[in-house]
Amino acid sequence: MMTSGKIFLRVICLSFAVCILLLNHSPVLAQEQPLTPKQILDKVDDLFRSQSSHGFATMTVATAHWQRSLSLEMWSKGKDKSLVRILAPKKEKGTTTLRSGNDIWNYLPKVKRVIKLPSSMMAASWMGSHFTNDDLVKESRMADDYTFEITFKGKVEGEEIVEVTCHPKPEAAVVWGKVLVRAQLKDYLPLSVKYFDEDLRLARTMTFSQVSELGGRLIPAMVTMVPEEKPGESTIIYYEKMGFDIGLDDDFFSLRTLQR
Amino acid sequence: MNTLHYGWRNLWRNTRRTCITLAAVTLSTAILIASYGLMDGLMQHAVSNATDLVVGEVQVHAQGYRRDYSIYKALKRPDLILRAAKLNNVAAAPRRYGYGLVALGTKSAGARFWGVEPALERTTFDLAQHLDKGRFLTETSQRAVVLGQKLARSLQAKIGSEIVVVVQAADGSLGNDLYRVTGILKAVGDSVDRNAALIRAADFAELFVSGDRIHEVALNSRERLSLGKLTEILSVAAPEAEIMSWRQLLPEVSDMVNLFDVSMLIFGLIFLLAAGMGVMNTMLMATYERIREFGILKALGATPWRIIRDVTTEALVLAALGTLLGTIFGLAGSCYLQEVGLDLSIFAGTYSVGGVAFDPIWRATISGKMVYLPVVLMLIIGLVASLYPAALAARLDPVKAIHRP
Repeated sequence: MMTSGKIFLRVICLSFAVCILLLNHSPVLAQEQPLTPKQILDKVDDLFRSQSSHGFATMTVATAHWQRSLSLEMWSKGKDKSLVRILAPKKEKGTTTLRSGNDIWNYLPKVKRVIKLPSSMMAASWMGSHFTNDDLVKESRMADDYTFEITFKGKVEGEEIVEVTCHPKPEAAVVWGKVLVRAQLKDYLPLSVKYFDEDLRLARTMTFSQVSELGGRLIPAMVTMVPEEKPGESTIIYYEKMGFDIGLDDDFFSLRTLQR
Repeated sequence: MNTLHYGWRNLWRNTRRTCITLAAVTLSTAILIASYGLMDGLMQHAVSNATDLVVGEVQVHAQGYRRDYSIYKALKRPDLILRAAKLNNVAAAPRRYGYGLVALGTKSAGARFWGVEPALERTTFDLAQHLDKGRFLTETSQRAVVLGQKLARSLQAKIGSEIVVVVQAADGSLGNDLYRVTGILKAVGDSVDRNAALIRAADFAELFVSGDRIHEVALNSRERLSLGKLTEILSVAAPEAEIMSWRQLLPEVSDMVNLFDVSMLIFGLIFLLAAGMGVMNTMLMATYERIREFGILKALGATPWRIIRDVTTEALVLAALGTLLGTIFGLAGSCYLQEVGLDLSIFAGTYSVGGVAFDPIWRATISGKMVYLPVVLMLIIGLVASLYPAALAARLDPVKAIHRP
């Protein structure tokens, strides 16, 4: 039961927890039998699936008022556990975010306290970036909220791509009016995810680039989030090192680790 | 003069009837003046409660600040605004605002941080006395926080609790620190109760890395200066800023005041209409009694206009006498209500309507409006009420009238 939301969130999971990446070079990539939209999204999703992962990344955030880079170390397990620790700059060094299911905790080394993020802060930015706290956890909730259809299949700039549009179900309480996912047809590597607001205006665009071999897999090393309303602003996550299936215990994603 | 004298004399041809009508007019006017005074007192109390507590009469923000409350939209020259206020002897408080998270134990909540100058808040507003528990901030209370009532409740914070604050600082970094709860506010208004966390301006600047950015200057002259005058002073001191009066800042209070003004007018009209009926009845009776007299007058060559003038003058004299007495009694009543007031404490302690707290002693205020409105209304109604009897008398056929038994 994968959804676009899921992918996207999975991708974010990648951003923060640098999950997952199982280069699923399945030889029976059903050329004869066309895939359903959901299966396509599942395929994309499978790319980012892994039992566990560990990696390093740099997050560069540019806003109208400031620009800064954060060095991150990240761990993940399954689809709903992740831990992100800030290594630099000095002011935030040691600040750690733990996500487990729908809950987020932050550890603040300066005051040596763990705080749980209240639901009212879910829409707030994560560490000043253009990702929200909600982006971290939404994945598990979005599966039921959208319907999917293939809206495009063909060549764009010489690449065979497939585009899946996700529409929220009428009764679903969701933030987005529409989500548009593009992936390469040959290997289902994601290209972009566009988020539209309730008036179906483009709100933000996430693009994937610089496909590189990381931890033995081909994945896009660079994820860029650009908000539509704030020209010139962006958040770029660049993955430097990744390791997959490293065998992390569930215990690792605990408040104890958070305070370590 | 002749007409007036004639009217006056006619009035006292039936002393009892005139006295009863006079009493009705007097009483209506007096009650109306006194109740206008009470209503006005209630409204002024509501307005000054709302403005003196924390909002002020006028606030200055950078243009567009109130659209997104961005920490970057600071006032360009707050020093000029504060100087202008000082020159005009108006108390003013500069404030900084930013958003973040407060947490205590396993509880956490979003908060709006206010960076305030404790001394200036004290002289400008009543907020420093408006505490449910604990004390207000002082200049020396480093990393102390005063919380809104509901915020404190949702954190289960007590005086002395150590809370974690986490904010997105103006340079993009993550500001975080420990603050000690020194006070918890009484109910102020829903948004303040729910998310206000007051800290010293110096602590704010450090937490938010916001330098000397000031987002708001709130001014409160305690009704010494009019809103127009205050706005004028400020628009000279800060021509590029957005200047808003409490009427814009507290639309619900402003609406309440406007609604009260209209309902007072309607209430007054209904009240005086009843008194007007009394006047009309008296004049109708007086006219019927004097049908033969009017017939003779007409036979002697009095024009219909002359008769209308006589009847309406008589009614006006009655109404004028009634409103004069009513004003005297009404003002006396208002003076009493202003000095002593109505004690509602047997019904309720401090109560609040629309987020505005009211005092249990209900006092009247005296203003020109509350006197001239009933007086003018009563005279107009008295005049209109006499037109019908006057028209009847003027249209009499002299021959029939004279032969009427």
